[in-house]
Amino acid sequence: MTPFSLFRLSVRNLRRRPLRTAMLATSIALMVALLVFGASFSMSVKATLQRAIDRLGADVLVVPIGARDYAEEVLLETKAKSFYMDKGVLQKVAQVQGVQELTYHVYLTTILAVCCDIPSSKVVAFHQGTDFIVRPWLRQSLGRPLGKDEAILGYEANRNLGLLELESGPAEGGTQLTLFGQRFQVAGVLQKTGTGLDTAIFVTDENLPLFIQKGKSPLKPGEISLIFVRVKPGQDPRKVARRIENAILEVDTIYRNDMGKRVLSTLRDINKVFLLTILLVLALSAFLTWSIFSAIVNERMREVGIMRALGAKNGHVLRAFVLEVLLIGLMGSLLGVLLGTYLSVSFARVFTLLRDVAATLSLAQRAQVALLGLLVGTGLCVLGALSPVLRVRRIEPLLAIKEF
Amino acid sequence: MALLEARDISKVFTVGEATIAAVQGASLRIEKGEFLSIVGHSGSGKTTLLSILGGILRPTSGQVLFQGQDIYRMDDDGLSEYRARHVGYVFQFASLLPVLTARENLLLPTVFLRGRANAREAEKALRYLEMVGLAEKADAYPYQLSGGQQRRVAIARALMNDPEIILADEPTGDLDEETEQEVMEFFKKVNREMGITFVLVTHSLELASAAHRRFRMTHGRLHEETAVSP
Repeated sequence: MTPFSLFRLSVRNLRRRPLRTAMLATSIALMVALLVFGASFSMSVKATLQRAIDRLGADVLVVPIGARDYAEEVLLETKAKSFYMDKGVLQKVAQVQGVQELTYHVYLTTILAVCCDIPSSKVVAFHQGTDFIVRPWLRQSLGRPLGKDEAILGYEANRNLGLLELESGPAEGGTQLTLFGQRFQVAGVLQKTGTGLDTAIFVTDENLPLFIQKGKSPLKPGEISLIFVRVKPGQDPRKVARRIENAILEVDTIYRNDMGKRVLSTLRDINKVFLLTILLVLALSAFLTWSIFSAIVNERMREVGIMRALGAKNGHVLRAFVLEVLLIGLMGSLLGVLLGTYLSVSFARVFTLLRDVAATLSLAQRAQVALLGLLVGTGLCVLGALSPVLRVRRIEPLLAIKEF
Repeated sequence: MALLEARDISKVFTVGEATIAAVQGASLRIEKGEFLSIVGHSGSGKTTLLSILGGILRPTSGQVLFQGQDIYRMDDDGLSEYRARHVGYVFQFASLLPVLTARENLLLPTVFLRGRANAREAEKALRYLEMVGLAEKADAYPYQLSGGQQRRVAIARALMNDPEIILADEPTGDLDEETEQEVMEFFKKVNREMGITFVLVTHSLELASAAHRRFRMTHGRLHEETAVSP
């Protein structure tokens, strides 16, 4: 026979009324699932934004006046937008004090059968000579600069278009596509960067005159979309951004740490709704635990009296009840963590915000959220049951036996 | 020094505005190895006095000394340990925990005393179940046992921690005559062979006559009736 302890008594008591135990565990599970889903949602948006900003590697972005939101939508979200300013701005920005290096992007949107042979996608034309955004990604995935008639697909763009049976790396074979009337050899697929540019197709800016010449894009000669700026070491990027705005009236700037503010502001509102819902469900679960354990303690008061008469200390009785509560809390919380994680993985794409930022959580972050769910679920269960369980301390054994 | 001594015990219950004196000035000395019986009508205060002796009900006044130590001056844990280590209690009702088997019910007092019960205690429980003729029911749950069998399991449980004294409150209350006789014979055997002191509360004069000394409880007052030969 295996050693007998209070643990077995608690387990048996749990099995006494399986439906009641299941009901309480389910309520805890639902509460934890909501918490895990909410926390995963919030954390993945924040983490993905931060990762994307880090991967872009620029200190300041310079965009046409009024195009801040468009720029964030292109760079951090999956949206395709076109916005342009005069290329002459480049010279002006380069002269601003504190600017170390800069490069630019031109963003175009494809339209199936009008200009291109692929569905609506964003095309990024970059200047290979000065670029410090795409070049490191090219080095990683292609191992060489991109040729003039070549295009390379962002990780998600390849998955969306299904052009290459390739996760990332250089392509073998002759897949071609038409962009703005120009044929391009698909050179390969970039690794996942976690930025909005994962959904883009990259070409060099040498092709822009041809695009304009073929009249298949709204782009005019001498236009660019966005300038990425790196500041000199020791320079405050926020001050440099302000200097650029003061010096060039037709542009807006986005300071690195301000990027994603729009998404984060939406996220804050969503978090408030999550928090309120979670608090209400928490209160409901605590009340349910309290009422179920009040009933359990009343039902078992006579047994408590018998246990006390047999020599159980208050601590033994409390431990037996707390073990029972802990087991229910742990069961419910584990179930809730699994359910919440499943929901956050399966239904995340239903939420535009998550879809747009291509949100993902690392294993360590998922473990953090799971731990939070376990602690809150189990802790709440214990808290809810505490007051009825502590009631058994105040009653004398004989009275417990006789009065209940 | 007496094994257990009650000095001028009183217990008053308050029900609403009324007060009920369940025990009034009861004194009693119990020596090691004695077999005592307390008889009395229903509501005479027998169970209350036995509970006070067993450390499960605090008296309103008076002292209960176990080997010279006032048990009600102990803290709650000390009093629990007194119950677990020195007293075996047999209730007048079915007192087995329904979620535990007969053997596990026997192991409970050991868990309370030592934290857990291992294979050695499990064997001991089986021996005691054998003594009350229920070894084959060791793994049966209370609902699978008759009232008499449950009572015998409870009696075996009272022996588990090798107590100095067993307090039995109407232990044969709802048993048939034959089982009642078997239980009484078992008590006498345990008292004789294991030297365990017995206090038996009963309303049956016939059962009470099995004791060395007989007390009567009337309206909360305790009187020694007669010395009965063992």
